[in-house]
Amino acid sequence: MTQFRPGRQVMVAGVGLHPFGRFPEKDLPTLALEAVVPALGDAGVQWRDIQVAYFGHVYYNGMSMGEGALGRLGLTGIPIINVENACSSGSTAFWQAYWGITTGIFDLALAFGAEKVPRGPVTVTAEDSPERYIGADHMMAGYALRMRRYMMETGASETALAQVAVKARQNASLNPYSHRKETHSVEDVLQSRMIADPLTLFQCCPTSEGAAAAVLVAEDALSRYSIDKTRAIRIAAAVLTSGGYNGKGSDHSAFSPYRTEPAALEAYEVSGLKPEDVDLVQVHDAATIGELQQLEALHLVPFGEAWRATEDGRTAITGDIPTNTDGGLLAMGHPFGATGIRMIHETVLQLRQEAGPRQVKNARVGLAECSGAGDVTTVHILTR
Amino acid sequence: MPESVDTRRLKLTNEERTEGVLLGFRCLECDTVIFGPGTFCQRCTSAKLEPIEFSQTGILYSYTVVRIPSAGWPGPVPYILAQVELSEGPQVLAELVDCLEDALEIGMPVELTLQLVQGEDSSAAKVVYKWRPANQPSPTAEVDP
Repeated sequence: MTQFRPGRQVMVAGVGLHPFGRFPEKDLPTLALEAVVPALGDAGVQWRDIQVAYFGHVYYNGMSMGEGALGRLGLTGIPIINVENACSSGSTAFWQAYWGITTGIFDLALAFGAEKVPRGPVTVTAEDSPERYIGADHMMAGYALRMRRYMMETGASETALAQVAVKARQNASLNPYSHRKETHSVEDVLQSRMIADPLTLFQCCPTSEGAAAAVLVAEDALSRYSIDKTRAIRIAAAVLTSGGYNGKGSDHSAFSPYRTEPAALEAYEVSGLKPEDVDLVQVHDAATIGELQQLEALHLVPFGEAWRATEDGRTAITGDIPTNTDGGLLAMGHPFGATGIRMIHETVLQLRQEAGPRQVKNARVGLAECSGAGDVTTVHILTR
Repeated sequence: MPESVDTRRLKLTNEERTEGVLLGFRCLECDTVIFGPGTFCQRCTSAKLEPIEFSQTGILYSYTVVRIPSAGWPGPVPYILAQVELSEGPQVLAELVDCLEDALEIGMPVELTLQLVQGEDSSAAKVVYKWRPANQPSPTAEVDP
């Protein structure tokens, strides 16, 4: 995987978020800047000091949207890079900003993401692809295939799966930025509209609009930019991997988070941390089954046991593996390009003890895992 | 004459376009078998790939009944989407036809079948590979919708 070892220490200096939901009155650059400007303010730096910017987004809204958005802040001439890496676009932008700094090229970088996801089932391939005839390109159907198989192999009940969504809604109800605010019972979840058996609507993330941003800085440059050291959060590991051979020789995505385990093992090795050191985790819960399989692939629970950990309340904010504390994709929402940085945003708030009613007690180590089509997987570990 | 939905994955083998085989490669260096297009081996990146034709059967690995389809799906709703493991190893996703939902069971044997599918609007009809339960009487309808 990653052939390079980290160099300089890199910190998250500031984060910003535009609420997730539907905002027909705002264009994509407007959404983006309403996350970027707060992130700059949170870091206490000026736009003119930013040396490089990476913008995660997926759906086509015109060319060079990163330039289009940031140009409204002033045309400073810095390199601006548009990043498309499916649902991991935002976390990939963050990863690139990290590597730009740790390698010594830049001192101060911006990573941001924004999206206006169209309504309806999400597809990966182009509209004229053979998959449209074959019927295999349907993101939630893919999760449903995983879910049925997982239930058979582990004995997980539908109730346990539904509890993932119930917990997500509870967390989101404590989050003023979330797309979904209404809480649900297990019965509500199971009785909601069937999308692809056994996956019901409330077990699928909404398609959302929104934006998120983070300012990254070299630790040795904190003073130069007069950044408050006490609020800066260290990036202990930044790992990105794309599709590897999955042992099946298939032509479709593996429908299992099989890239998470190697990415996580590398992140643990690089950071010197172990799964038991992680105080809270954000994982890619595009569907309920996603959260369970990611927790297992991250070695936070043994394989086949995440559903039981959920039933036992261990993944709740008050549990020992607080998961998707802001509501996750399931309830916070999923604007693709913003999602990976939204996870960083929540982790930073938690590690600063600024998460209000969602605060995980004594949170010192946070992990954020984000996955996308092409089996792109990022794992970031942040520490206070 | 209608064409294969994807000539890299399905070769039609008779004039009537009712029979065909799934295509792939076997790596001559590491023996890995892959379904569909490939230039180098997925596993070892060797260029020494030998084209192969898969057998007509597989095992149902998982399935779902899609009730809200993706935009552009030209078939019936709901439909069964099957994840099938070929005896050679690769998995192939396609619609499972000629089967009641109650009869679905992980592990059941399935076989390849072809259907002529008319695309949405006026786009061309294509011959599409599907799965059906193995060892069943002949398909009820060849062309649908």
